[in-house]
Amino acid sequence: MPKIILENVTKRFDKFVAVENLNMVIEDREFITLLGPSGCGKTTTLRMIAGLETPTEGKITIGDEVVFDSERGINLSPAKRDIGFLFQNYALWPHMTVYQNIAFGLENLKWPKDEIRKRVTEMLQMMKIEEFEKRYPSELSGGQQQRVAIARTLAPKPKVLFMDEPLSNLDAKLRLEMRTELKRLHVDTDSTFVYVTHDQLEAMTLATRVCLIKNGLLQQYAPPLEVYNKPANLFVADFVGNPTMNMLQGKAKKIDDTHAEVEFLGHKVKFESEVPFASFNEKVVVGIRPEFIQVDEGPYEGEIYATLPAGMETTVKLEVNKEIVTSMKFGAVDYQYGAKVKFDITGSGVILFDADTTDRFAMGKVTLIK
Amino acid sequence: MTEIKKQKFKNNLKAYFSKPANIITVLFLVLLIVAVVIPLFTLLIGSFKINGNQEALYTGIPDGSFTIAHWKELLTSKDFDYAQIKFWDPLFKSCLMSLLSCLVAVGFGGTVAWFITRSDLPFKKFISTVFVFPYIMPAWSMAMFWENFFKNTAINAGKGILQAVTGICVPESVVYGFFPCAMCLGLHYAPFAYILIGGILRNMDANLEEAATVLKASRLKILTRVTLPIVMPALISTVLLVFSSSISAFTVPFFLNKSSINSGNNFISISVQMRSLINSGFTKGQGYVIAIVLMIFSLAIITLNNWFTGKRKSFTTVTGKSGQVSLVKLGKARMVIAVILVVIVAFFAIMPMVSFAMESLLEVPGDLSTFTLKYWLSTEPFEGSNKGDTIGILRSGIMWAAMGRSLLLSLLVSLIAGTFGILIGYAVSHKRGSKAASLLSDIAFLPYLIPAMSFGAVYLALSYTKGFTWLDGSFFLLLLVGAFKFMPFASRTGTNAMLQLSGEIEEAAVITGTPWWKRMTRVLFPIQKSSFMSGYLLPFISCMREMSLFVLLAASYTTLVTTVLQEYSRTGLTQASNAINLLIIVFVLVIQYVVNKLTGASIDKGVGG
Ligand SMILES: Nc1ncnc2c1ncn2[C@@H]1O[C@H](COP(=O)(O)OP(=O)(O)O)[C@@H](O)[C@H]1O
Ligand SMILES: [Mg+2]
Repeated sequence: MPKIILENVTKRFDKFVAVENLNMVIEDREFITLLGPSGCGKTTTLRMIAGLETPTEGKITIGDEVVFDSERGINLSPAKRDIGFLFQNYALWPHMTVYQNIAFGLENLKWPKDEIRKRVTEMLQMMKIEEFEKRYPSELSGGQQQRVAIARTLAPKPKVLFMDEPLSNLDAKLRLEMRTELKRLHVDTDSTFVYVTHDQLEAMTLATRVCLIKNGLLQQYAPPLEVYNKPANLFVADFVGNPTMNMLQGKAKKIDDTHAEVEFLGHKVKFESEVPFASFNEKVVVGIRPEFIQVDEGPYEGEIYATLPAGMETTVKLEVNKEIVTSMKFGAVDYQYGAKVKFDITGSGVILFDADTTDRFAMGKVTLIK
Repeated sequence: MTEIKKQKFKNNLKAYFSKPANIITVLFLVLLIVAVVIPLFTLLIGSFKINGNQEALYTGIPDGSFTIAHWKELLTSKDFDYAQIKFWDPLFKSCLMSLLSCLVAVGFGGTVAWFITRSDLPFKKFISTVFVFPYIMPAWSMAMFWENFFKNTAINAGKGILQAVTGICVPESVVYGFFPCAMCLGLHYAPFAYILIGGILRNMDANLEEAATVLKASRLKILTRVTLPIVMPALISTVLLVFSSSISAFTVPFFLNKSSINSGNNFISISVQMRSLINSGFTKGQGYVIAIVLMIFSLAIITLNNWFTGKRKSFTTVTGKSGQVSLVKLGKARMVIAVILVVIVAFFAIMPMVSFAMESLLEVPGDLSTFTLKYWLSTEPFEGSNKGDTIGILRSGIMWAAMGRSLLLSLLVSLIAGTFGILIGYAVSHKRGSKAASLLSDIAFLPYLIPAMSFGAVYLALSYTKGFTWLDGSFFLLLLVGAFKFMPFASRTGTNAMLQLSGEIEEAAVITGTPWWKRMTRVLFPIQKSSFMSGYLLPFISCMREMSLFVLLAASYTTLVTTVLQEYSRTGLTQASNAINLLIIVFVLVIQYVVNKLTGASIDKGVGG
C-alpha cells in the first residue's frame, strides 16, 4: 500500500537551496506533520511529493511506483499519483457551486452520474455543509469554505492526502474543532495524511510522526512524544514545547561512559545516564523541560522573577545565578516578586547538548554535589 | 420641534462634510456632472435642433427651432439611398471591423499573455517590454506602418517596404479599406488585451489550476473548465472595450481611407462619416446624431460589462496568495515558439519606427538612392500648407510651437487627471459599497466610453452654445477636454491602489492627529507611489499621442503636434508626416522609460490595475 519514500531529494531555486538531501519514509496510514519555521521548505517538500514541483535531484516512490527519479528521468504528473491536496487558501473555483466543486474530480474519474450524486451528498453530510450545496464559494464563511475544500479533496477517496497549513486561515476556536475532525477523518478514511504546519502544538497533537525541518534540512523525524522528550538538537528542543525548554550553559567533565560532572547555574552536579554517552564535549548546554523543575522544595535556590498563572497551571520564572529558569507548577499559585524559593530538578529527562554541534549526546538525571 | 429637526439636520450635514471622503465625493459628482453629463445633454439637444444658418438653409427650418429632421433624414431617407450610404452601411461595416479587430487583439494579446504568465517561455522580459510598444504609439502609427509596408506601385501608391524587398505587389484591398483597418486596430489594441488578460492570469491563484490537476483533469479540461471561466470576465471586458474603442476609432480608418471610390475598397467608417458631417456646416445635427448613436453603443457595452462581471460567482477569491506557480513546460517547442513570438512582436513594435525613419529619409519611397535629409532639415517653405510651414520639420517654427503646446497640454492634463484620479480613488475606496461611490466611479469612467470624436463633438457643440463661445478654439477648452477624457485611467488606477491599502494604514495616522492632506502626501501617496505615478503617466502618454479628440477643437492658434502631423499628411507630404510621427513615438517612449525608471510607474499598472 502507499508507503512514501523520499531518497536524497533536493530542490534548488537557482542557487538557493530550499530543500537539501531529504531522506524520509512515510508508512502506510501514518499521519505525518512537516513542522518548521516559515520559509524552511515545508511547502516545497509537500509539493514535490505531490508532483506540483519538480525536485532538482533525488527519487520519490509512492507505493510500488517510482513517481520521480532525476537519474532515470521519471516524473509522473500529479494526476497519476493518486493523491489529494488541500491548499492553504482552499483554491475553491469561484465560478463553480459547492456541488460542482466537489463533483469535478469525480467527473474526471468518469464516475457515473448517480454515483457522483451519491458521493457528493455523502461528503456534504460528512462535512455538515448540505445546505450550501448550491452556493458559490464567495458566499461562504472561511470555515465553510474550508469544509468544502476538504470535501472536494476527499471525494475521490485518495490514498494519500496532502495538506498545506489548512487551518491557518481559521480563527482559534474553529481551528481546534477542525483539528479534532481531521484526526477523526484520518481514522475513518484509512488514508495516509501528510500535513504541513508551523504550529508546533498542531503538529504534536495531530501526528503519528513529526518531521522537523530547518532551512531545508531534516532535523528530526520521530513520534511527537519522542521529539518532545528526546529532541535531537537544540533547534528541535527550542521549537517544540511551550513554554520552551530551559537551556543553560555549562561545563562537563566525563567520569565514565555513563557518568559526568556538570557545572551550571553556579552548582556542580552529578549527571547519570542509563545508556553510554553518544559522544562527549566539555562545553555543554543543559536542557531541562520546565515541568522537571519543581519549586517550593529542594536543594537549589532561586529568586522569583515572574509568575504567569494560566488557570490550570502556572509558569514560574526564577532568577538563579543571573540566569532565568522556567518552571511549571500545577494549579494556580502566586508568588511575591523577589521572594526566595527552593527548587529541585527531578526526573531522568535532563539533556546534555554539545554546545558546538548543538546535538544531543546524553539524557539522564542529575544530583547536586555542591 | 422643527427647530430641533433643523438643528439635527445641520449637525448631520456638518458631520457628513467633516469627512474628506464625503467632500470629495460630492465635489466630484458635481464637477463630473457639469463637465461630462451636461455637455452630453447639449449634444443630445444639438441633434434635435437646427444648428446655425447653413443648416437652416439646408433643411428649410428656422435656426434654433426644435426638429427631428436630423434623425429622420440620417436614419430613414431613401433619396439616393442617403440613409443607407451615410449611416447604415458605415455603421454595419464598422461593427464588422470592430469584431474582427477584437478577434485579432484578444487572440494575439491573450496568447502572448498566457505564454508570458503561464509557461516557461524564454525571453519573457524582452517580449513583454516590446509587446506594449504598439499601444504606446499613436493609434494611427500602425496604419501608417501598414501603408508604408504594403503600398506598391501597382495601385499607384509608391513603393512600400514589401515591394522594395521582395517585389510582391499586394492587391489594394490589403493596403486600404476595411481589412487593414481591422488589422491595424487589432494590433494596436493587442497589448491592451495582453495587459488586461495577463493581469488576471498573473493574479489568479495557481492553486486553482493545481487543484484540478490533482483531481486528474486533463490539460484541455483545466483550460476550458477552470482557467477560461475565471479569465472570462477579463476576456469579455477586453472584447467590449476593444470593440467600443475600435468602432469609434477615427484616425486609423481616416489614414487608410485612400483607395479610389470605384475600386470597391472604399471604406468610410462611422466615425469618419461623423467627422465629415460635423465639419460641414449643413449637417452638424446629423453628425451629432451619429455621436449619440456611438455613445448608446458604448453605454450598452458598459452595462453588458457590468452585468457580466458583477454576477454571483464573485471572483474576489482570485487573490494570488500562493507564491509558487508551476509553469507549463513547453518542452521542445519552447525555443521555436520563443523565436516566432520574438520575431512577430519585434516586427510590429520596432519595424514601424524603422519604416517611419526610412520614409522620412527617402524622396521616392522604396528607392534608397533618393536619400535626403530635406524633410528633417530643409528651410524651404512648404507650398501645400497655408500656415507658412517649412518642409524640414525640425526647422518648422509651427511644428515646434505645436510640440511645445502638446507638451504643456499633456503635462497639465496629466497633472489634473492624475490628481483627480487619486482623489476619486480615495473617495471611492472609503465609501466602498455605497451608492454615491459606485455612481462616482461610473461617471468618472464614462468619458472612456464616449468615443474621442464624440467627446470632441460634445465640447464643440458646447463652444457654439450661447454663453460658452469664449471656449471656442481656446487652449483651456483643449485642457478641459483632455483632463476629463483621460481621467478614467487615472481614476481606475487610483481606486485600485487605494483599495489595496488597508484602512488601518490611514487610521494609524488619524490617531496621531495628522491632517488629511498630510496623510495623503506623506502616508498614502508614498506607499503606492508607483501606482499613482502610473495614474499620471497614462494620461500624459494618451494626451501626447491623441488626435481624434482634438482634431475638431484645435484652432490654428492652438495647433498641437498631432494636428500638424495631420496637416502634413492631408497635403501629401508623407515624408514630413512620417518624421513627425517618429518624433512623437520616440518622445513618448523615452518619457515612459524615464518615468518608469524613476518612479516604477508603468502603463500596464495603469490599464490593468
Ligand atoms: N518559486 C520559488 N522561487 C524561488 N524561491 C522559492 C520559490 N518557492 C519557494 N522559494 C523559497 O524556498 C524556501 C522554502 O519555501 P516554502 O517551502 O514555501 O517554505 P514554507 O516552509 O514556509 O512552506 C523559502 O525561502 C522560499 O523563499
Ligand atoms: Mg508554506
